Amino acid sequence: MRKNQSSDTDSFAGDRPPADQAIASGDATRPDLPDRRTFLAGAASVLGMLAVSSCSWQEFVQNNFQRMSKEEIEQTVDRLRREYKEKYGKDFVVGTEGPIDATLFGYALDIQRCIGCRKCVYACVEENNQSRDPQIQYIRVLRFKDGDMDFEHATIYYDPEEVPEDGYYYMPVQCQHCANAPCTKVCPVRATWTEKDGIVVVDYNWCIGCRYCMAACPYMGRWFNFKEPVIPVETINTTTHYLGNRPRMKNVVEKCTFCIQRVRVGKYPACVEICPVGARKFGNLLDPDSEISKIIRNKRVFRLKSELNTQPKFYYFFAT
Amino acid sequence: MKPKMLIPLVMVLTVGIIGACINLSDRAAYAQSREYAEEMKEIQAPTSEQEFPVPLRPLPKTITPCRACHGPEKDFPVNFKRREDILVHSNIRLNHGGIRLWCLDCHHPENRNYLLPLSDGKVIEFEQSYLLCGKCHGTIYRDWRDGIHGKRTGSWNGQKNYYLCITCHDPHNPRFKPMAPMPPPKKPWTPTEVRAKH
Repeated sequence: MRKNQSSDTDSFAGDRPPADQAIASGDATRPDLPDRRTFLAGAASVLGMLAVSSCSWQEFVQNNFQRMSKEEIEQTVDRLRREYKEKYGKDFVVGTEGPIDATLFGYALDIQRCIGCRKCVYACVEENNQSRDPQIQYIRVLRFKDGDMDFEHATIYYDPEEVPEDGYYYMPVQCQHCANAPCTKVCPVRATWTEKDGIVVVDYNWCIGCRYCMAACPYMGRWFNFKEPVIPVETINTTTHYLGNRPRMKNVVEKCTFCIQRVRVGKYPACVEICPVGARKFGNLLDPDSEISKIIRNKRVFRLKSELNTQPKFYYFFAT
Repeated sequence: MKPKMLIPLVMVLTVGIIGACINLSDRAAYAQSREYAEEMKEIQAPTSEQEFPVPLRPLPKTITPCRACHGPEKDFPVNFKRREDILVHSNIRLNHGGIRLWCLDCHHPENRNYLLPLSDGKVIEFEQSYLLCGKCHGTIYRDWRDGIHGKRTGSWNGQKNYYLCITCHDPHNPRFKPMAPMPPPKKPWTPTEVRAKH
């Protein structure tokens, strides 16, 4: 957004002959100064630009993360750390770890074991610094009646005394990290893409907030910050990643990144660590000895809406 | 002369070809057998506790000196008669496998500090109770070994912390306990008049 708009203003200025040119041409008696209307329009547009952008000039000229050089990345991380320190009063780590060689992340969820306790939802919110109000939760736990798989009959607002309830089963849905992801194809500015290790990420600073990706995603795996996100300072997670859980701003899209700040350093995602029944499994699809490979090889698995050819790397399975 | 020369030549050639064929098939068979052996090795890989690092769960001090009561020194005879109420262990209400199981199906009758032995005669330590669980729940045990059943934390490409069977399932009452769910998500804002209609 920042780049495009700056070039627009250049062409706008070029349309009119500047005042000093007229002076230099020798016509001193009648200097071709901009009339009052033009001047006001120009001043208003400049002021408006400043007001709307509400960002530092470094942020304004910042490049797409994929095109940044090492120095640019370092400068950006420094700037972000300064900004977060100012805003939240805490020292942040903004990681930029790249993909690990020979890894393709996959996820499996045992829908027979899931009891619908929503512990994963809240672990995810805390780990990934999601806005509490307005509420953003990357994981939706759907409750289905036994034998029914129609999404229109499912609910996410169930609230019994105790789970699991008789006659129901639960299916958590989050970003499916598709190998053929429709969301990355529709982005007009390429602010979202699939990393080498299979994680679909967003460059929040490059996102223009058009929400095409949200319309394209058949799993409702993306969320938009309609308001300035509100994160309680005492529970904010200061271990972050540039493409992951660093605090977001208003008007950008965000999504599950398999906890990129955790998995890129070898840890399990937060939802896997919290699940009390061990229904969530995570690992490297390219490693034949990983849990996920064994599940895909030996268990009954299915992928959500496989008829859409999105090829998710998120598998649902039945352990027995 | 010429035909006479040809016959041994043809014979040598045929013998050579047949020999080569036999040699080839031998090699194929050998390769197959080697593959087979490797496959078998994979299948019959020993499943010792060293194969995967399992943190041993420290047992509460109160239950380890079983021998204090159930031991040769105490002269407390082993009663093989099945009974429901055992006065001393009143805190344990067995709810595992219906009426098919009772104490001495898992606990060693002669040496109460251990669990019943595996088929090789080696008694099972309390810390390795998962070996005993696997005696009945073989498929689940296999899944657990592969990381499919149960929970693991730690590192997806390194050291993992395994949750044992008894971490989640009380062996005397193994059914997973229901729990209270976390609060549901907030419903999206809707105008009051619309809410009234729906």
